[in-house]
Formats: sequence, C-alpha cells, structure tokens
Amino acid sequence: MKKNSLNKGLGALWYPLIFSFYLCFTPALANNRLRQNQSLQQQNQISGTITDGINPLPGVTISIKGKATTVTISDVDGKYTLKASPNDILVFTFIGFKTVTIPINARSVLDIKMQEDATQLQEVRVNAGYYSVKESERTGSIARITSKDIETQPVTNVLATMQGRMAGVNITQQTGTAGGGFNIQIRGQNSVRRGGNSPLYIIDGVPYSSEEIGSGMSMSVMSMNTNPLNNINPTDIESLEVLKDADATAIYGSRGANGVVLITTKKGKKGKTRFSASVAQGAGSVPHFMKMMNTEQYLAMRAEAFANDGITTYPVSAYDINGTWDQSRSTNWQKELLGGTSKITNINGSISGGSEQTQFMVSGTYGKETTVLPGDFGYNRVNVRTSINHASTDQRFKIAFTGGYGIQDNNQPSTDLTIDAWRLAPNAPTLYDADGNLNWENNTFENPLRYLKGLSKSKTYDLVANTMLSYDILENLKIKSSFGYTDLNHHESSTFPSTMYSPAEGVGSEVSSIYYTDTARKSWIVEPQINWAPVLGSLKTDVLIGSTFQSQNNESLFMNGYGFSSNDMINNPAAATSLSILGFDESIYKYQSVFGRANFNWKERYILNLTGRRDGSSRFGPSNRFAWFGALGAAWLFSREKLLHGNNVLSFGKLRASYGTTGNDQIGNYKFLNTYTPSSTTYDGLIALQPSRLYNASFGWETNKKMEVALETGFLKDRIFFTAAWYRNRSSDQLVGVPLPGTAGFTEIQSNLNAVVQNRGVELTLNTVNIKGNDFNWSSMINFSTSKNKLLSFPNLESSTYRNSYVIGQPLNIVKTYHYTGIDPETGIYTFEDVNGDGVLTAADDKQTVKNLNPLFFGGVQNQLRYKNWQLDFLFQFVKQENYDIPKTLGVPGMMTNLSTEVIEHWQTPGDIEPSQVYTSGANGAAVNARYQYTASDAGITDTSFIKLKNVSINYKFPERWLKNVNCTATLEGQNLLTITPFKGSDPEFVGVGFLPPLRIITAGLQFNF
Amino acid sequence: MNINNFFNPYRTYNTRVYRILVIIALLFITFWLKSCDNFTESDMPVSELNTAAVFEEKNTAHAAMVNVFAKMRENGMLTGKTNSMSREMGLYADELTWYGNSAQSPANFFTNTLIPTNGTIAAWWNNCYSQIYSANAVIEGVASSTKLLQADKDQLTGEAIFARAFIHFYLLQLWGDVPYVTGTDYKVNSTVRRLPINEVYAKIIEDLEAASLLLAEEYRSSNRVRPNSYAAKAMLARVYLYAGKWAEAANSASDVLNNTKTYVWLAELNNVFLKESTTTIWQYAAKTPTRNTDEGTTFIFNTAPPTAVALTSSLMNAFESGDQRKAKWTRSRMGGGNTYYHAYKYKKTGSATPQTEFSIVLRLAEMYLIRAEARAQQGELIGAKEDLNVIRHTAGLVSTTATIKDDILQAILRERRVEFFTEFGHRFLDLKRYGALDYALQDTKADWQSTDWLLPLPQSELNLNPNVAPQNQGY
Repeated sequence: MKKNSLNKGLGALWYPLIFSFYLCFTPALANNRLRQNQSLQQQNQISGTITDGINPLPGVTISIKGKATTVTISDVDGKYTLKASPNDILVFTFIGFKTVTIPINARSVLDIKMQEDATQLQEVRVNAGYYSVKESERTGSIARITSKDIETQPVTNVLATMQGRMAGVNITQQTGTAGGGFNIQIRGQNSVRRGGNSPLYIIDGVPYSSEEIGSGMSMSVMSMNTNPLNNINPTDIESLEVLKDADATAIYGSRGANGVVLITTKKGKKGKTRFSASVAQGAGSVPHFMKMMNTEQYLAMRAEAFANDGITTYPVSAYDINGTWDQSRSTNWQKELLGGTSKITNINGSISGGSEQTQFMVSGTYGKETTVLPGDFGYNRVNVRTSINHASTDQRFKIAFTGGYGIQDNNQPSTDLTIDAWRLAPNAPTLYDADGNLNWENNTFENPLRYLKGLSKSKTYDLVANTMLSYDILENLKIKSSFGYTDLNHHESSTFPSTMYSPAEGVGSEVSSIYYTDTARKSWIVEPQINWAPVLGSLKTDVLIGSTFQSQNNESLFMNGYGFSSNDMINNPAAATSLSILGFDESIYKYQSVFGRANFNWKERYILNLTGRRDGSSRFGPSNRFAWFGALGAAWLFSREKLLHGNNVLSFGKLRASYGTTGNDQIGNYKFLNTYTPSSTTYDGLIALQPSRLYNASFGWETNKKMEVALETGFLKDRIFFTAAWYRNRSSDQLVGVPLPGTAGFTEIQSNLNAVVQNRGVELTLNTVNIKGNDFNWSSMINFSTSKNKLLSFPNLESSTYRNSYVIGQPLNIVKTYHYTGIDPETGIYTFEDVNGDGVLTAADDKQTVKNLNPLFFGGVQNQLRYKNWQLDFLFQFVKQENYDIPKTLGVPGMMTNLSTEVIEHWQTPGDIEPSQVYTSGANGAAVNARYQYTASDAGITDTSFIKLKNVSINYKFPERWLKNVNCTATLEGQNLLTITPFKGSDPEFVGVGFLPPLRIITAGLQFNF
Repeated sequence: MNINNFFNPYRTYNTRVYRILVIIALLFITFWLKSCDNFTESDMPVSELNTAAVFEEKNTAHAAMVNVFAKMRENGMLTGKTNSMSREMGLYADELTWYGNSAQSPANFFTNTLIPTNGTIAAWWNNCYSQIYSANAVIEGVASSTKLLQADKDQLTGEAIFARAFIHFYLLQLWGDVPYVTGTDYKVNSTVRRLPINEVYAKIIEDLEAASLLLAEEYRSSNRVRPNSYAAKAMLARVYLYAGKWAEAANSASDVLNNTKTYVWLAELNNVFLKESTTTIWQYAAKTPTRNTDEGTTFIFNTAPPTAVALTSSLMNAFESGDQRKAKWTRSRMGGGNTYYHAYKYKKTGSATPQTEFSIVLRLAEMYLIRAEARAQQGELIGAKEDLNVIRHTAGLVSTTATIKDDILQAILRERRVEFFTEFGHRFLDLKRYGALDYALQDTKADWQSTDWLLPLPQSELNLNPNVAPQNQGY
C-alpha cells in the first residue's frame, strides 16, 4: 500500500516539475518576440474626446495596435490621453459600439465619433465558469443577467434577482419574513430525493455550498431550514450566469446535473479613482389579505352550527358566542397582526479605480429591514468586499484577488402569526388591556401576541475569498491557478418561553425551551489550469486542461434546552435543567478531478465544443469514487454563410445542439461506510450503538443525460433577437434507498436505483429594441418556459417509501388526493369517491387522483424605456400552475375558527346545492372528517396561476451641469406591486401554508458617482 | 530550448521575480499533490464508529449488544407499547376488546380481518429482522475481534444468539414457516427462503443451547436486564414444550426452578412485577431512570368508557372466585353505566420517581406451568398438579380438582390465561399450541377463520422477495 502510494505520488510530482522547467526556458523565446515589437521611436502625447455623436462616451478602451501593454480608458467626459508613436494605429473599443481603428498619422488630437452597433452585443463575453465565450460563439445554453437588471430590484436575496428574468429557471419565495429563503429549480426536478435538486453555485470561481445550515426547530419562523445563499449580496454582483445544458454543465461533472449558477462580483476598472454611494429608504407591507368573514357572518355561522348539532346551551369554552366575549367587537386580525409596515434601508458605498497594472475596488453595504408584525424585529446585514487585480509590466503575470465578508443578524419572533391572523374569531378581545399588558381576557383568550415572546434569532458570518494567478508562457499558452477559501459560521436559535402560554396554563419557566443550531463550514479549493489557444489558419482552437482539489469541512451541533430556573436565562444552555443533543455532525467532503475543454472554431462559422471531467468524490466508496462526464456541443452560425452574409433582415442566425452527461452527488457524506452510530436510546447504563445502515460501498453518481437543440436568430441588426431551445434531460441511477425485503435487516439500502426522471421543455426568449432614438429608447425582453417532468420508471415503487409520493408516468411534484364528488344533498356533507369500493375512505387506497403541482409554463416580460434622463424598467412575471387552495385548509366551518368568506354559501336544508358543506360545532363527526378529507381531495387543489408586476424601477439622472463632476441618480423601485390571480388566498406564490407572503416593497433612493 | 536565455542579462528584474514566484507556487502545489495522492480517501466521520473498531473495545461492543435489547424494547412487536403483540395479539385472541376507531389497525386485529398491507404487520416483521440483523452483526463483529476478552466475547455472542433465537421464536409463532437469518449479507438475506416450522424450531433450539453454554450463570448486570444462562434455559424450556419435546422441556424448566438461590418464589402478587422481583428471569432495562413501563401506559385507563382497549368479559369471567390476581392484577373503572377492566400488573404510567417497575419478559411462573404441562404430557400427573398448584395457591385458590391428563392440561390452559394475560400474546400462543383456537374463538369472534392461526406475510415482503411466496393461506 505504502509503496504504491509513493509511486503514484512521484508520478504526480513530475508533471508540475516539467511545467516549471518549461516555464523557465520557454518564456525567453517569447521575450524575444515581445522585444522585437518594442520600437525605439519617439512617443508623443495624443488626446481627444470620444462621443456617440451627441454625448461623451466614458469607459471606452483605447489601445495601440500591436502593443498590448498600452491601454487607456476615456474618462467621464469622454476624454482620453495616451502616449504613442506617430506611426501607431489606435483602436477604440466599447461594448455595444463598433470598434474604430485609426492610424495616428502624426496627429496629436484625435476626436472620435463611435457608432452604436447592436450586432456587437453578440461580442459580449459570457462567463462559462472555467472559460468565457463570445455570446455569438457559445455552443451551450447559458442565461445571463447583469448588474443592470439586479440593481433595479430592492431585494436582498440573489435568487430573488433572477425571478421572472431567466428562461427555464423557476424560483419561488418561501416566506415574506426578512432573511427567508427561495426555492430554485433549473429545468425541473431531476432527483427523486427532494434534497437532491440544488444547482451548483460558484462565486468568482469558488464553489459555494448551498446545503442547509440550520435545523427546522432552531429557526422555527421560517418555512424551510436556513439556506446560506442569503449571504451573497446582490449589490456586489456584476453578472449572474445560469448554465443549463450538457455543453455548459458537463465541465462541472458530478455536480452539474441541476445546473450551475455562476456569480461574478464587481471588479475595479482602470482609470481615475471613482467613488460611488447610494442610499435607499423604503417600506414593505403585505400586499393582499385573504377575505375573511366579519363578526356578523362569523357569529351567524357559529349559531347555525350549534343549532345544526342540536346544542342549545353553548359550551363553556365557546367564548365567542356564549356571551363571554363582546359580540359587537369586530377586528380584522390580518390587518392587526400582519398589517404593519416594514422599514427598509440600504446604504452602499464603493471606491474603485486603478492604474494600468493594478486595479482595485472596495465596497460596503449595510441593509436593514424591520417587520410587518407588531413588535421590534429586524434583519440587519453588512457586506464588505475587496477586489484587487494586478498585472506585471509586460502583462504576462497576473494576480487577481477578491474577498467578501458578510454579517447577517436576524431577529424574528419564533412563530409566524399568519395562521392566527386567519383563524382568530373576529370578535376576539382586544390585544392589550387598559394597563398596556397582554390581555388574556380572564384566561379565555389565547392572545396571539404571546408568540412574540419567543424569538428566532440567527447570526451568520461568511467569508469567500479567491486568488487567481496566471502567467502567459507564450502568446497563446497560459497557465493559471485559482485558490479559493470559504468560511461560514452560523448560529441560530428559537426560544419558546413559558410566557408564550396563557396564565391559565399555570406553567412557569420549567417548561421554557430553546433550540440551537451552530454550524461551521469551511472549504478550500485549488484549481491549476493550462490554456492553449493556437490559431491554425481558419481554425481557431482553444484547449483547456485543469484539475480541482476541493475539501469542505462541516460541523454542526443541534441542541435543545428545556426547563429554566428563569426565563431570563433561556439563552444560556448551561441553565437548562435538561439539555439534549438532537444532532451532531462533523464531516469532510473531498473532491478531486481533472477537467478539460477543446473548442474548435472554423471560420467563425462552425464550432465544436468538447468538454469533459473526471471526478473523484469522497462521498462514494473506493470502487465508484471516480467517474467520467462529458459533452459535445456544436454550433453553426448560418448567417455568416455567403448566402446570408450581409442580409438586411437576418442579421444573426445560429443553430446549436448539445448532448452529454452530468452527475449529481448530493447524497451526504460517509454513506458508503460500514459504521455504528449512537442511537438515542439507553439500556443498562449504556448509550446503544446501532448499525448505521446496510453496508454498500458500491453506489455511485446519479447520471443526468442532457440533450438540447436551439435556434438563435437576430433580425434587423439584431433589434429583434429570438431564441428557441428544446431540451430533454433524463436522470437515472437515482441515489435513493432501494427497497429491500425486511429480512435484509433494513428496508432499504443506499444504492443507485434504476429509476428514470425526465424533464422536457421549450424555452423561448425574445429581445426587441422597439424604439431607438436619441432621446427615447424602448426595449423589451420576454422569456417563456414550459417544462414537463415525468417519472419514467421506478422499480418496486409500490414497496418503497416513495409509494405515496410518486406515480410512474406522472411528474415528481404531485399530490395524490381523494376525488371530491360533491355534497350529499340529504346530509349536506362532502362526499368522495371510494375508489376500491370497500365502503371506507382510506388514504392509501382511495387517494388515487393525481394533481400536478409543477408549473405548466412560466416566464417574464421585461421592458426598459429611456427618455432623456429618465429610465423606466418594469417586469411582469407570470406562472401557470396549481397548488393548495389555502382558504379551504383553515378549518371546519362552524367550529371556533374564522374562515374565508367562501364558506358563506353553504348547505342548510336537504336538497340544497351549495359549494360549502353543513356547519357543525364539531359534534357532527362525519362532517368534521369530511372537511379534512375535502382539503386532502382534488377540491383542495386550485388554480394558483398569476401575473405579477414583479418589479418597477424609475430613475432619473440629474443633468451633469447641476452637480459638477458628480453623477447623481434618483431611483424609485418597487417589488410585487400588483398581482392578478384567480387564487383566493393571500398570495399565489408560496411553498408552505401559513407563512407571511412575499412583501410589496417600495424604496426611493439616491446614487452618486464621482 | 535555449538554455542561455534563462540567464539572459537583459531581462528585467521584475519578470525574474514573477518567474521565481510562479516556480515556488508550482513547487508548492507539487509537494502538496504528492501528499494528496489518495486525496478523496475519507477519514472516519467523528459522529460514527467503524464497525471493526466497535468490537475492539469492551464498552462499545456492549453498547452494540444492548442496542438489540433496546430496539426490542422500543420497536416492533416485543415492546410494551400500543402496537405491541402484548396488546394486538390480546385483541386478536380473547383477552381484549377494542373501543377505538374502527378504521384503525387494532380494529383489524380485534375483528381478525388483517390484510397483507396492514402497516403493523409489516412493522413487526421488519423490526424483528432488523433486530436479528443487529444481533448477527454483533456475532460477526465479536468473532473477528482481536482485543476483546474471552469472557466478554462469550457473553456478547451468547446474548446475541439468545436474542436471535428469541425473536425467531415469535416470528415462527405468528407466521409459521419463516426464514431463519444468521448473517448480515443483504444479498443473501434479501433472497432467503422460508423454512418449515420443524427446522425453525431445530435452529432455535440449537441457538438457545449454544447461548446457555456461552452465558454465565450469574447476572452480569443489576436488575436482571441482561440475559444469563438461565434465561436461555427458560426460553429453551418453552421452545421444547412448543416443539413437543416434553422431557427436555421439563428438565430445562427444572434447571431454572432448582436455582432457588437466584429465583425465589414470591407469595405476594403485588411484588411480582416490581423491578426487584426475585421471580424475574429477564426484563428490559428502563428507558431512563425516571420512566416507567410502556405496558402501564398502554393498558391503564382512568376514565371510562376506554378509548382503546379493556379486558374482555370472557377473560374476567375466567377468574375463579377468590382469585387474588383479579383483585391485584386488574382494576375496574365505571363509566356510561358499565364497568370496564384494565390490566393492572404494572401500576405506573409515564415518568415518576421512584421508578419501581421494569418490563418483565421471562418470569418464573411460566417455568412451573411449562413443567406442569410437560409432566402431564408424559403422564407424570402428580408432579404436574404440584407445579400447577404452586401457581394456584399463590393466587389464593385451592388445589386443582383435575385428575386425568386431559383435565390437567385444560386446567393448565385456563391457569395460563389468568396468569399471563396481556403478556406477549401468551393466550394466542397457548390456544394455538393446544390446537384450541377455533374452539375458543369462533363463537366470540364473528370473522374468525381457521386460517387466522397465521398472520399474513407483509405484502411488501412478497413483492420484494419472491422466494418467500406463497402467502399464508386465507389471505
């Protein structure tokens, strides 16, 4: 063993050594070539102004042809100066404008007028992770938004910025509570494991784990466990690329199955030092409440319910109707509990600039968001970021460093008040008594504000840093290596003090409890790479070979403290009379791979892109630790064929296709080991040790085979740009517990199940420049996606734990329901189909109706209008989908819980045909049962499609003459302004029931640049 | 390559520095690469323990063994919880009446209308084999251990073999032909076949004999929560009896009964189910120092009518007048104009200090009744009556009046009913052994069928392992 490993080690030793020597000798050759270029001619000062015909153009790159070392950039007034020889040729380049090449011809002043060129948009380089590619020449499917789109949105989560703006990317907000999370699915659900569908996130080249960092109970106010993505500050983002197809994702191998999200942060630019600052203030509120019954309607329902049940003397506990509570009171509890306004503040400042060789940027952001609940809760965040780029004088050695540190401090109540706000009787008593204390109304009222005594608190400290070193050995041969490091510390806790209970319960701090989770996650990555890009006649090639070493260390401790001598001690676990460890994890995930790309571009018309990766992951047993992934992508730019070249209508045309495999290793660590784990039980004074699982070291990756064909066309100088893509992804070797007979000792074994999940869909995008003038511009971006998810096969589904969740031939995101068959006109009770006809309604046998909760289609329509100094951006997001009908889940009509006004039209006497069933105070067991079955029937699923005015942003740029040398912009931004939906609940965008809906946010701000 | 260029004097200082930097960086990577040749080889996780390491240390090896007993106490049919065989097989026979929701699984036990997809059935089956797996893992782990002392090895192996045999006994009783699993290889275990009842008995006996030799005569821990050699012999006595090996059954029972130093007969019925009881042969350790038995919580009710189970009137009528067990081991509750009885062998529920009761699995009374039955079967009627009368006298009853073999056997069956009610489904097993199921149940149970003497195999088991087909008759 030892001998073997030594040999291998020496092998590994040789490669870099060879490169080192190569490096030592070859640059000398290159040096000669460079030196030949350096003429000894006299250098003159050249200056001038660059305009687009009307306005000066800042940021234009001016270089001297053949001299890569001399580059300058025009300033705010479009002015530039540089030193050049009289015979030199100047090249002016600027994105969106045609490149201008002019010989100096011994002149000293050169004023330049640049022409806008829509086609040049195709020259934008898109980040593809390990490499970048010209938009026109990419063979893969990459969606992109930039700071331009992100900055118009008053949001704090990176996923929120992509909502409605990217085809094939479906994002849903989980809660309106500040600091809450989002669900993302790129081209549908691939893994049958609910937890196995996250994309891979890469920030400036450093993989950022999105695995949960909390436990449900320790952040109980949220609908899902804490997701670390909140740490990424949207204001820091320069561009955000989502890689979707095999061609783009195969280079990420075993982690590319669910797509890759690349986040590139802002960097300093050369030129004079620039200061920028922005301040925004705003307000957030719940945009829409569910329509609930008022006191009159509610009490009428209660009275009828008791009458129906033949109860004439109201029970003691029916405080709402037996006279205990004032029946003339009427409170809109939603308004009372959730109707507040959250104050939002965002302050952002940055300094950037730099010389030819070194550029820097330092930025800081502070954000604060209070709550819509009554009480003093809030979410604070601070982000600082530094980036430094440096190049040697000959521009051959480069170093780039980026580092970001974020602090989040969230302080919320431990219980979301939404459910109480719905269900409280409208004549329930006042919240505070005359002395300003919580009113318990003589122990008859479970005051909802009691929940505010418990707190969900979290603190997160997050560091992401990356250094990239590169060296140009030859003009077309470059070696580089990136070194990344992440460090995340997260503490969260939720308290449930005894003061949350009514004094009637007579309990003290001996029942108070707290749940804690502490998580620390550190990772590092090193990725040495070699890039060779020779041009052989008409064939441009680009070859990249690299390797990855990554290690991630995760530690977490989940505890519960119960019983305190005083509620003041509740945050001190040492003061708990009983402290239990609910979870402990310390794991290391290591990852090693070799990847490569070879791109062949013939005459900029025919492009072939080969990517591949060989991955090794510590999550798998020795026999399956390594696997190959690869993809083939091809593009044909048919508009550059002679026949179409220079065509007036068709300015761009490309057909591209790709096929390949990616994988998924989101399975957790150590699952292949043969181990024992402490069980929670004791026996004979010992903590029992149980076998962790059936030993199976021979499982491997989930494999996702992706296929895509797409057409990209530009018309009228790309003023109309249309893309259509069709894809089909099939995910197999599903990593699930494969069902085993009980005699095996465990009912399942961690293994690759031969189940296949297919996602198929069409994505369309249409970008148009509708009006283009000197003063007025209007452009639109429309995206539309449909996708169909289908479980193609699942051996032994009926015997597996997934039998009630999945149906072969149906999507994964389904719910099996009873089939509602109307109200029995005689009894007034809901009836359902007894599928197996056994006379009893049982979940396993009779929930046979399948409802699909995946969106049928979704997309967004974005418009940008500019008139002189005014700019208006707005985005409509639309989703066609079905989901739970929340108004129907609230409770049993007639019992002591308020309901939506939907139940007013109800059955009263035999023969009635009404939508809602007979009222009951709870005594009619059949009706109570039927109501619960009703919510679990197909009648409990409804159309939750919507069109949302997701985002509006208006900004006005103050004329420069007002403020000398200062660019000042005033902004007015809004989020979730308007929703059009048939859904009767509060907001059709939800993941779990009973959480605050996404807030409507309006902010006003000022931006300064100087 | 032009080596001279490396020393080219015209080169700028800066470039040289960069080059040196890059070389240093590369050398650094190289050395580091060398050390990470097996980079993705993972170390053991801190929160888990390598199986081999578990059995190299005394404490962890014992922790792995007690896990089997803890799991028997917590999961599956051998617990004292509501879904245990103590309650459900009591419903299935004639000990208990179901007062809960008629759509729930216990109702199917009560009305003998079990189907192969019943969740409790699958949970019982799966948990039994899961516990057997853990026992087999201990046997294999101990066998390959190099550091454990022989005494520990013997105890652990003995306990594991005992547990394996014990669980298979109950599987056999409920399902008839069952697979006898003795290893941990899932490939073997997931394709096993069922063995005929006789072969299963033979394997159980083989295991218990081995266990009785490996286990020490004295208890290795306080409160008799770890089985000793006598626990294996007691179980052996029962299995011999069930297998019709009367002489062996009587001898094994005698082995236990003759150890009067350890097992001291108690005249006071109220002391039988205390944790210090000297008639206990093996009992489960308590969950925590303050938790009482699950049986207490399962059977005791304070308000009537009960929401789950109460003792049947036929059982209450089976107590002869003056039987102290009726007074001391049952309790009545009035409600809705009726009187309901619950088992009151264990008197405490939930958490309470001081803790007084553990769940007893094997107790001395059974040894007397096993020997009585075995002796009667062999024609030793006097000895049989002597043993039977020990039990009767303690209960405050007069000596049995039975004189001929068949009457004595029937008297023993009656005695067992009032002695062992709500304990591990004894009643069902007794009726079955006596061939009296149909006779005893078809009058009181409307849906009783002869094929109900076996439970259905879980449907999932038939789906996943065709080798266990066919399904038991009647399902």
